Amino acid sequence: MTSARPNPQVSTPACLHCQLPIPLGLQSAYCCAGCAVVHEVIAAHGLDQFYALRETASPARTTAHAYAELDDPAFQRLHVARGPDGQARASLYLEDLRCGACVWLVESAPRCVTGLTGIRVDLGKSRADVAWDPSVTSLATVARHLDRIGHPPHPYRGLAREALRSREDRALLIKLGIAGAAAGNLMLLAIALYAGLFGGMSRADTGFFRWASMCVALPALGFAATPFFRTAIGALRVRRLHLDLPLSIGILAGLGWGTANVLRGVGEIYFDSLAMLVFLLLVARWIVLRHQRRASQAAELLLALTPSRAHRVTAGVPTDVPIEAIIPGDIVRVLAGEVVPVDGEIVSGQSAFDVGLLTGESQPIDVAPGARAHAGTLNLAAAIEIRATAVGEATRVGKLVASIAALAVKAPIERLVDRIAGRFVAVVSSVAVLTLLGWSLRSVALGAEHAMALLIVTCPCALALATPLAVTVALGRAARRGILIKGADALERLATPGTLFIDKTGTITAGQLAVVSWRGDLDAAGIAAAAEAGSNHPVARALRAHAAASGFAAEVREQLGHGVRAVIGGREVLVGAPAWVRQRSRSQPAIEGWIAELAERGETPIVIATDGVMRAVAGLADPIRPDAERALGTLAQLGWTVRLLSGDDRRVVQRVGAALGLPAAQCQGEVSPEDKVAAVRRARADGPVVMVGDGVNDAAAMAAASAGIAVSGAAEIAIEAADVYLRSPSIGDVATTAAGAQATLATIRRNLKFSLVYNLIAGALAVSGLIHPLIAAAVMPLSSLTVLASSLRSKAFRS
Amino acid sequence: MTILYLILPLALLIACAAVAAFAWTVRSGQLDDIETPPRRILFEDEARCDRDR
Repeated sequence: MTSARPNPQVSTPACLHCQLPIPLGLQSAYCCAGCAVVHEVIAAHGLDQFYALRETASPARTTAHAYAELDDPAFQRLHVARGPDGQARASLYLEDLRCGACVWLVESAPRCVTGLTGIRVDLGKSRADVAWDPSVTSLATVARHLDRIGHPPHPYRGLAREALRSREDRALLIKLGIAGAAAGNLMLLAIALYAGLFGGMSRADTGFFRWASMCVALPALGFAATPFFRTAIGALRVRRLHLDLPLSIGILAGLGWGTANVLRGVGEIYFDSLAMLVFLLLVARWIVLRHQRRASQAAELLLALTPSRAHRVTAGVPTDVPIEAIIPGDIVRVLAGEVVPVDGEIVSGQSAFDVGLLTGESQPIDVAPGARAHAGTLNLAAAIEIRATAVGEATRVGKLVASIAALAVKAPIERLVDRIAGRFVAVVSSVAVLTLLGWSLRSVALGAEHAMALLIVTCPCALALATPLAVTVALGRAARRGILIKGADALERLATPGTLFIDKTGTITAGQLAVVSWRGDLDAAGIAAAAEAGSNHPVARALRAHAAASGFAAEVREQLGHGVRAVIGGREVLVGAPAWVRQRSRSQPAIEGWIAELAERGETPIVIATDGVMRAVAGLADPIRPDAERALGTLAQLGWTVRLLSGDDRRVVQRVGAALGLPAAQCQGEVSPEDKVAAVRRARADGPVVMVGDGVNDAAAMAAASAGIAVSGAAEIAIEAADVYLRSPSIGDVATTAAGAQATLATIRRNLKFSLVYNLIAGALAVSGLIHPLIAAAVMPLSSLTVLASSLRSKAFRS
Repeated sequence: MTILYLILPLALLIACAAVAAFAWTVRSGQLDDIETPPRRILFEDEARCDRDR
């Protein structure tokens, strides 16, 4: 019994597991073998609730891998912990964890695998912590089960780094909590003081409240603000100005001045505003940190996907060992078709490597003894042996992952903020000195008071919040729409319009053959559909989708690459390529004309003949996506010049371009990967270039462009080279990404302008001695809240 | 108003306790994953494995 409900709105049968339409003609309840396996496993274990819980559906992926390396003693020593209760524990990376239903399915595994005692999933990290009884089952058994339910597991590497990070995250979160609690309580105390200011309060009571404020503020803020002090000192050491410097000066000046005034018993204290300031800044920092974590996790998945086992050769005999057992100096054998597991030097054998993953190079390179081999490259031709020089995180791919994580740290716009901060420090400190000197003509105490007020109220809180908030909102919204953007700098590079190269005609077309024109006898359509009823060929699918079959075909003989011959209702029917049909039937001038006409337009002509006479010609092509025209209009409006740059047939590219109204000069077909890179380089001379693609052959062009966009189904290397990954291969999302990037940059600029204007006004008030702590307390959080509201109001990626 | 001299320190002590409790939840890792638990509450109890309870 299954609870899968095919969507009633879809007329074609839907896959029982993923609900995508089943390819026509496939006599199955599933769209692919993966879905069939997964659905059977789920049903056999009574886990049908999965279908009620899930939020998204996509075809399942399983591998037939045996996972024997997970039970190897060397692997177990490194990755498996033994509890005092005799239980073993390990962490695994799971592929394709998407929503609550996946979590439920994986966490139900103990019902299906005897001996598996517990499994906890962390959806954000795609990680599962498993515990099992080693006397009953093995990790490989558990891994095989997870694979069969559509979540192929990989050993979770970098646990040490993860532990370090979670310590960092926790420390920041505690500081955030302390700052928040201090801000709330100080505000309550401040309200009492302000009320006393207007309503009258005894001197002793006022003093008591001031002392209480100080007792809360000094320890809490002194501790919570340490991250700012640390970066400020670090930046000063390398003689650079960082935004944290003015922040630190403001916080320290405020705390010092407030303490002095509490001890003296006169003068203003700013503890409440300062606490609010520190709290909001920590919130911003925490948001940014969470985003960086996500970007680097995506990169680490790549490392997790490199092989987990290797064939170590000792005394000429290869043994399968987990990758962790390999130490530099070991000899490793790599068979043809396998991914190289370590960095090293080739000692014997000759082969060709596909190094696309590392360099974006699309052509295989020949290797011989003495050549360097890198982990992550694919051995194409023959078995070779490698002497390992580096393993794991020390390999080139490991370092690449580390550099991607480091790249995520700072975008140019954030450096712009740092530059502004530099000038800001210079201006504010000179104005503060001038204020001190100017007011000192009347009274030194007054001068100090106003200079201090200036330093505190101009503390650039909104400035520090402006970029992270806008970027966070944009990336979050984009991700919900299936647009994954790697970082703030990608957004920035997509915001300035220039040339947009589209490699894949598939981004503009539906990606499936369809009958787009018909010449001749219309009745022949039904006959053709009947003749093709049993075939799974793309042409057959297109003909079946075009018309309902009339009659039943007998004696069907399919000749691959040519056509189909069948007998329908006693008549002999031929459906196929013109040359093949021509040999078997009488030609007609009209039909020949149509064949030439359709071929000229870039369509594939398919001829239908009955009883030896040609009856009709169908023109097959990949039709334009319905949203393509509107998307190209949006892109043109944003200022982008769209160009097609494809390896496809020239006529096909011209047809697609013409259908969309692109000038013929902007549509190039039959372009080699090298020419793509050259075209991108040429275009870069005139401005920013965005490359949209999906293949290994595009990776180099994407890397050469100012920004790359990879679409769904792209090769791993293309996804790595790209700044943006689209979950659906549609040109509509490309336009949305470009528009969203521009809107985000506009929001960031608006935020920066606003915070500068605020500082100008507050600074002017402080210089003229008109600022009151009450105004400071109100305006400071208000400025931050305005920046927050402005970021949330942003039009970027709003559906 | 002298009661304030007793109430205020008491209130601050309670606030300290709250902060300490928060620090404990963070340190024990309860806030490491804030994505999965909100989904987990939707699962039927029966679906959790009965065998090891």
